[in-house]
Amino acid sequence: MIEEISLDVDDNGLMEISRKLGIGLNLEEMRKVREYFKSEGRNPRDIELQAIGQAWSEHCSYKSSKPVLKKFIFGIKAKQNLLVIEEDAGVVDFNKNYAYVVALESHNHPSAIEPYGGAATGIGGILRDVVCMGAKPIALVDPLFFGDLNFDYKKLPKGVKHPKFIQSGVIAGIRDYGNRVGVPTVAGVTYYDESYLTNCLVNVGCVGIVKKNRIIRSRITKKNGKKGDVFILLGGRTGRDGIHGVTFASTELKEKSEKEDRSAVQVGNPIIKEPLMHVCLEAVEKNLVKAMKDLGGGGLSCCADEMSYPEFGAVINLETVLLKEKDMKPWEIWISESQERMMMLVDKKNVDKVIEICDLWDIEYSIVGELTDDRRIKVYYHGEKIVDMDIKFLVEPPVYNRPYTIKEIKEHEKEIKEPVYEETILKLLSSPNIRSKAFVIQQYDHEVGARTITKPLQGKIESLTHSDSVVLKPLPEDYRGIAIATDSNPSLMKISPYWGAKNIIDEVCRKIVSSGAIPHSFADCLNFGNPEKPERMGEFYEACRGLGEFAKALGVPFVSGNVSFYNESEYYSVIPTPVILGIGIIDDIRKSITTDFKRNGDLIYLIGDIKREMAGSEYYKLYGYNFGYIPKPDPEELKNKIKSILEARKLIKACHDVGAGGLAVAVCEMMIGGNVGASIELSKIDMRTDYKLFSESSCFVCEVRERDSEKFEKIMKKHNLRFYRIGRVSGNKLKITDKEKSIILPLHEIKEAFL
Amino acid sequence: MIAILRMEGTNNEEDIYNAFAALKYPVEMVHLKQFTGEVKKELEKSIFDYDGIMIPGGFSAGDYIRAGAIFGARLKKISKELKEFVREGRIIGGICNGFQVLTEAGLLPGIDDVIVSKPQISLGVNDSGRFECRHIFLKHENKCFFTEKYEKNEILQVPIAHAEGKFITSKRILEKLKENGQIIFRYVNRNGEYAGYPFNPNGSMENIAGISNPEGNVFGMMPHPERVFYPYLHQEKKKTGDGRRFFESIIEYLRRRI
Repeated sequence: MIEEISLDVDDNGLMEISRKLGIGLNLEEMRKVREYFKSEGRNPRDIELQAIGQAWSEHCSYKSSKPVLKKFIFGIKAKQNLLVIEEDAGVVDFNKNYAYVVALESHNHPSAIEPYGGAATGIGGILRDVVCMGAKPIALVDPLFFGDLNFDYKKLPKGVKHPKFIQSGVIAGIRDYGNRVGVPTVAGVTYYDESYLTNCLVNVGCVGIVKKNRIIRSRITKKNGKKGDVFILLGGRTGRDGIHGVTFASTELKEKSEKEDRSAVQVGNPIIKEPLMHVCLEAVEKNLVKAMKDLGGGGLSCCADEMSYPEFGAVINLETVLLKEKDMKPWEIWISESQERMMMLVDKKNVDKVIEICDLWDIEYSIVGELTDDRRIKVYYHGEKIVDMDIKFLVEPPVYNRPYTIKEIKEHEKEIKEPVYEETILKLLSSPNIRSKAFVIQQYDHEVGARTITKPLQGKIESLTHSDSVVLKPLPEDYRGIAIATDSNPSLMKISPYWGAKNIIDEVCRKIVSSGAIPHSFADCLNFGNPEKPERMGEFYEACRGLGEFAKALGVPFVSGNVSFYNESEYYSVIPTPVILGIGIIDDIRKSITTDFKRNGDLIYLIGDIKREMAGSEYYKLYGYNFGYIPKPDPEELKNKIKSILEARKLIKACHDVGAGGLAVAVCEMMIGGNVGASIELSKIDMRTDYKLFSESSCFVCEVRERDSEKFEKIMKKHNLRFYRIGRVSGNKLKITDKEKSIILPLHEIKEAFL
Repeated sequence: MIAILRMEGTNNEEDIYNAFAALKYPVEMVHLKQFTGEVKKELEKSIFDYDGIMIPGGFSAGDYIRAGAIFGARLKKISKELKEFVREGRIIGGICNGFQVLTEAGLLPGIDDVIVSKPQISLGVNDSGRFECRHIFLKHENKCFFTEKYEKNEILQVPIAHAEGKFITSKRILEKLKENGQIIFRYVNRNGEYAGYPFNPNGSMENIAGISNPEGNVFGMMPHPERVFYPYLHQEKKKTGDGRRFFESIIEYLRRRI
């Protein structure tokens, strides 16, 4: 069962061992391993090399990204930070007694191989990240990126699944898992681009709520643990599913991945997860849990190491682990990433109480080991010692300052001919990245928990439109709410990772503010290609620089995140895709604003400076124009806009940020939700009509009652904001006039295009 | 006291709990195993400790076979007690998955007997073939003890969230339901008309959304009144939550009964 492996071989021999065991370590790393075991005075066993392979994978160790993250993303100070970056999820101040918890991560590689299971277990994993902080999950989000749905089947590279198949599997996986565990899925993105053909991106996020005096750490320190405390492993059984998940996620996908890596995808079971969450939270509420961590990447091995490091050690008896199949090898048990498992550290005297809760919910458990004070990880299998290593060696892998090159960006604009406006607006509304996502959103239960105040689809029951963000009321006893928005901007990221990233932060903030909330924290999931290629590393560097600079200027911290590299195959590398989950706070959920127009006769305002910044716009993409100036949002200006919108909040009846498709699409969406028309007059803005209508500059559209217009304008002026009164909510058509130009579209045609 | 019955996969119990708690009516979560005696002695409970049992929505046991089938089958262990419970005029309510459980357990429609051994109603897969979550319009066509506080023919806005909600039954049962005034809620459009999909979200026979037993103390519905208990939970903002009176009706009946 256990194999001793001699590392007393040449370089080729070392690499042969790494390959044979499937542990993905490079030569330099293998040499370090050899050196380590020399200092231990013995040969390693297979299980020990497997443990190192998992711990040192890109996925677990962030060895390529850490230096860049440290430079730009980490360390934004804010008084709301309670426990940020260092744990599985970020913990942020909510009110006097409660904190909210945020986590966001990717499940890209598994979803490309097995869309349904990959996406479902993504949800499972992110829920555990939140539960292990002691928090109750209250919302899920799922930003998804697929290849072109109309991609020619005949041209599909070998071993690659068609985007239609992937999309339907991913959505079904999220639906069947999320709905079953009873956590509402409230926000997300569905975006299509050819670059995601071989590597779809499936990001999943979760928000939870926890009493401040019940926050649980995953790291054990002298404050929360002592020698002799007991490790209880509970939930699902350990099987051969999810073996080498993290090493598989730390390389490019290949044609053979379909066959070879299927076992790397876990199998989810929401009907273990649902009661498992009850058990964990009940044990936390009863103050029985000293530390808790979910078993994710790297399985039991990474979990035990990371919990104990740096102050303690652990002894684990591997034969006590409950298995799905009998004849698993010890190394398989040690690194399996089977789902629905949690590890708790419990005081010996409280073990029976935890077991009692498990029994009520029919959750299986086993006592697998103990905390020690020697800072070593020791694993026994039927009495035989099979792992005995310094935890520090495992948990502190080599870090790389990878070389990077930064692509120079040249902006230029060309004259284009004016479009047929009616046709262009309808084409934009029906384009895959803009059209209604109701068929996705309505398959997810976004109401369970009875705390979804403003909905992912807003407006009239028979005529729904997109929201900017969703407002939740986490606590029955408090009107304070949380606004949730997700955003990315692949079209701009493709042109400029630096400016693209800044635009993403700008837009996610505007989406939060549109609901009447103030931006409070971010979680980031950074999806990139192979970091060993300097160009990709350059994209990563620039994106982080953009994100960090903008967030720092706003004073809004990144509290949690995840990096997913190697979203690349021999055919494509994904557009650099940082996904941001933005959290806002609203003092009273009854004051939240939605995007749908409310009443005939109300005034419509455009807030912000609309500019001829057309690069990456849906309008330019529609006609294949690959030039134009990049929108360059300014954090100081954004702060000003935020201040004024929030100050004018009670005067604003509807609010929508200008995003993909520009002003024209924003107004159409507001009309659809209100089931009402609008007449728009643009001659006061000095630009050609198409630039005004389709520019994606940082702006808002607001609906205001006529009687409030003076007060509203006063507030905008006070903050020196550029704003235009551009029209009225009226009738059942969209009527746009701009000097002699007149554009008319009936509401029903707009709806048909959008739906 | 109301018992909210839970097992693995029920996941709307808190929403219902909060509704009763907000109205200051005593309420408790009880695991099914506590009624069926599959727990330690000190955790056991009797259904007769409660005036009413509510079965919440969710995916009991995963609903991998047929929605509500496993929960329904497990309830049969105490069917003798449940029969007595219903005959005494205590209440049993099921929302969404809870409705599916009540039909699977044979507690609805309650026409031939308080409990029938084979289900007479099926809540089948939606015509759209998929899970749908959105707000819809309901017409309150007949009163039962769960809905006394609504006006007859009043139109409510309530969310649905299910994949299996298509009400199907035999001609005979359907006629009886009508005859007895057991059809409590039907799906309609904004103007109160029967209007087909998407207003009837699942293809239910005769737009049926919720029914009671002939006596009116066992009731099930697919939409979720607990999710519009407060005005600010509505899709279209309202002055009061349409779901509130559902819980007030139950409480008023139970107080009267005692």
